[in-house]
Amino acid sequence: MFWQQVVNAIWLGAVYSLFALGYTLVFGVLGILNLAYPSIYMWGAFFGLVAVNTLHLPIWLALPLAMLASGLLGMLVDLLAFKPLRARKAPELAALISSIGTSIILINLAQGAFQAQVSRFPFETFPVQVYTLGPVTITLLQITILGISLAIMLLLGWLIRGTRLGQSMRAVAFSPVTAARLGIPVERVIGQTAFIAGALAGAAGVLLGLAFNSVSPFMGEPMNLKGLTVIILGGLGNIEGAVLGGFILAFSEVMSVAYLSSDLRDAVAFILLILILLFRPNGLLGRTTSKKA
Amino acid sequence: MSAFSNFWASYGSVVQFALINMILAISIYFTLYSGMLSLANAGFMAIGAYLSAVLTIRTGLPLPLGLACGGLAAAAVAFLLGLPVLRLRGIYLAIATIGFGEIVRIFAINFDKFSGLQLLGGAEGLAGVPKLTTPAALLVTLLVLVYLLIRLPRSRTGRALAAIRQDENVAASMGVDVFRYKMLAFVLGAFVAGLAGGFDAHLTRFVDPNSYGFDAAVNILAYAILGGTAHWAGPLLGAAILTVLPESLRFLQDYRGIVNGLIIVVVILYLPRGLVDPKAFHRKETPHAEA
Amino acid sequence: MIKTPIFKLAAGLLLFSILLSACGSAATPTAIVDPTDTLAAPTTAAPSATTAPAGLPAVITLGAVHDLSGATAVYGTSIQKGIDLAVKQINAQKFLGDGVTLKITYVDAAGDPKQAIAAYEKLTADSSITAILGPTLSSEAQSADPIAQEAKVPVIASSNTAAGITSIGDYIFRTSLPESAVVPNTVAVTSKALNLKKVALMYGNDDAFTKSGYEVFKAALTKDGIQILDEETFVKGDTDFSTQLTKIKSLNPDAIIVSALAEEAAGIMTQARTLGIPDSVRIIGGNGFNSPKLAQLAGKAAEGAISGSAWNVASTFPANVAFVSAFKAEYNSDPDQFAAQAYTAAWVTALAIKNAASVDHAAVRDALAKIQNFDSPLGSFAFDANRDPLHQPVVLTVKDGKFVVFQP
Repeated sequence: MFWQQVVNAIWLGAVYSLFALGYTLVFGVLGILNLAYPSIYMWGAFFGLVAVNTLHLPIWLALPLAMLASGLLGMLVDLLAFKPLRARKAPELAALISSIGTSIILINLAQGAFQAQVSRFPFETFPVQVYTLGPVTITLLQITILGISLAIMLLLGWLIRGTRLGQSMRAVAFSPVTAARLGIPVERVIGQTAFIAGALAGAAGVLLGLAFNSVSPFMGEPMNLKGLTVIILGGLGNIEGAVLGGFILAFSEVMSVAYLSSDLRDAVAFILLILILLFRPNGLLGRTTSKKA
Repeated sequence: MSAFSNFWASYGSVVQFALINMILAISIYFTLYSGMLSLANAGFMAIGAYLSAVLTIRTGLPLPLGLACGGLAAAAVAFLLGLPVLRLRGIYLAIATIGFGEIVRIFAINFDKFSGLQLLGGAEGLAGVPKLTTPAALLVTLLVLVYLLIRLPRSRTGRALAAIRQDENVAASMGVDVFRYKMLAFVLGAFVAGLAGGFDAHLTRFVDPNSYGFDAAVNILAYAILGGTAHWAGPLLGAAILTVLPESLRFLQDYRGIVNGLIIVVVILYLPRGLVDPKAFHRKETPHAEA
Repeated sequence: MIKTPIFKLAAGLLLFSILLSACGSAATPTAIVDPTDTLAAPTTAAPSATTAPAGLPAVITLGAVHDLSGATAVYGTSIQKGIDLAVKQINAQKFLGDGVTLKITYVDAAGDPKQAIAAYEKLTADSSITAILGPTLSSEAQSADPIAQEAKVPVIASSNTAAGITSIGDYIFRTSLPESAVVPNTVAVTSKALNLKKVALMYGNDDAFTKSGYEVFKAALTKDGIQILDEETFVKGDTDFSTQLTKIKSLNPDAIIVSALAEEAAGIMTQARTLGIPDSVRIIGGNGFNSPKLAQLAGKAAEGAISGSAWNVASTFPANVAFVSAFKAEYNSDPDQFAAQAYTAAWVTALAIKNAASVDHAAVRDALAKIQNFDSPLGSFAFDANRDPLHQPVVLTVKDGKFVVFQP
């Protein structure tokens, strides 16, 4: 059983990390905790579902399309819910509250549009293929998602470090005022970041909706609080931290369920959250890309 | 039957829920007044609800005593929680309080199982709570709280809290014991939320652990945000509007929930001081209005 | 920003909201759907003497408090379809007599006990309401039914399966067989047929329905001497069960008992088979499985799943055959258990009114309690001494994506 649980934990870790990447990126560059992010993730899953069900696209087309749509949604959310606050230099808590309201709107829009029920991607969307290696089983879909998550993490890392945009993003994250003085178009960079984060959320939505055969307007809610734990564990704004946090949470959850009690599963995330907030609020790898007073 | 008793028979509960929500709005008012965003009040409400319900069911304690115990228990938990958590900065405090709310919920659901006692009812909730809440009790409590609110800005505590909200560091350098005042606001808010929880349990006759989660915490926040924290009437008005609105918006059906979200966003973007803003009464009328 | 007018606007908005609610629904509660409008009985001065019992008014109104929006709307709308079909038939057949029409006034509780309370207060204060159908959830019932009991207005629930609902008082009835009546039968039948000696038990521990289902299963398994190797929990909305299932797999149970709603059950079944738990280890569940969603979401993984049910869509009982075909004709889809039980509730209420020849609350209540041998889709229906339904449950299994009777 132990090795299967290890595989379960690695898989779950990839899931949490994939979700957390966009989440932490927004904080890093925009300096705000966007609690509407899980709702964009959810909308991404629905965009994918619509692409497959209504437009009859294969999954390898539906995924990028969903990412595009969620990226645009991310930009729209920033434009409507956060930009006016930046314009009048509102306190950061105002953005947090605005994101909460936005999340409610997005979830209720989805409820109205798609009904509150749980749907799934059609069975033929991805081939079902189970591999058994000794005591361990894993599916083709899980391997594929692991691969895609890894690819996205590497791409994101390269984007941040190796491109002009990434440089600008880091500059804005460090200090928008200084970045503006250096000639960086701050608002445009923020818009692009919102797009990227939205696209990441959308990718996570489609992949996880596919992996767990479950798409519903409420699918973002459990991820909400676990996502918070992951990004705080790793340090707000820290990409590597998000990955590390994702795996730490996954392993803690899996091992406590496997060897203690499954009642504790949700409590694990909160216990980790409280511990980190008490002893190292900046996260395990904190203070790399963000530096707000 | 008179028109009033007709009205009351049909709408009595809505009015009482509005009163309870006003009390909840006041509970978060204290923390917002000092610049803290705490989403823990739904959790404190749950503590008050459970404890007062268990006491009245098991020991036949009269409601005022049950409520007081519930409130005090919530306050005590707030104190213990506040010790480590109140020194966290803005967003981190908010997240910690969200986490706390969830922990209370999980605790309530699992308590019976792990303790072997049949006390809180687990996921099925605690049923059979006697209906002891009366409009009179609610009004009296509300009046006392409003009185406190009116006195607050001019009191020493109020001025200290306002200073902390403006700028913690400056306040500290002026000799204000920041931590102590924050704790005071936090504990007071928890006590009031605990009272509201007790009233709520004794009105719905039922304590459902899932009704005190994140959504409930956000609703409480919405009452205070809508009404604004600049004036004591703000939270009352916000709570009243948001309690009554869903009743009249039934025709929206599945889209009903959007209104809550819209209100939060619109208010925070364009009416940051909320609906009740005394500044508006004093501002000189200019020939042209801001958009 | 002009703030003063906005304050006035807000106060006005508040006043407006109150007036809107009051005017819109003071004496006559908000009717969202009235299915009988097209079939309104002709308003004759005196009801025809042949079939109309003397004590009945021209229009009889029942209140229905159900979840028509929100996360639980899937149950509420199914219930609404069942009720509407029954009412349509009752009026078309002039069941209550010439010149007597049955009307339903729906009030949406949206899954919120507080709204259920408000709905019940409005309905019980309205003297033209003969009885209340509902509410959808057991948690709503706990809060709201006491109001009807105190006002002595009969309540007929069709989807509450928790313990302690009908014990609220003698005016509370239900046509939904509680888990405590279905599960022991399921356990007895399957343990014999599958020779079960040791099982694993999984359940949702944060939902009243799945939690109480677990308790009933555990009691039944223990009573039958079946060993429970392991108990694992999850919460509503969970999508990953691999950790719990991996643990269960390593213990080699004969079967896995799952107390879950259809969404989680589907996930559990799919992941169990992916992890390599053989098909011979059957997955057995309670009422939560009884939804077309199960096969929809789990596909092939649902094959062989077993559940106890109060109703079987394929039952050849004449009243059921008629019900299923009428439902399909009306709504172009198969009914589910919620629709069947709601349909029965509406019919049973009409029958009680007819038997009592009156809309007096006490008379209707007594007539309800006395109902015997009523031909319903659930079988021959009667209420027991506790006002719970009295009929045989069935054990079903999924075969080719549909529920059929479980044959050992």
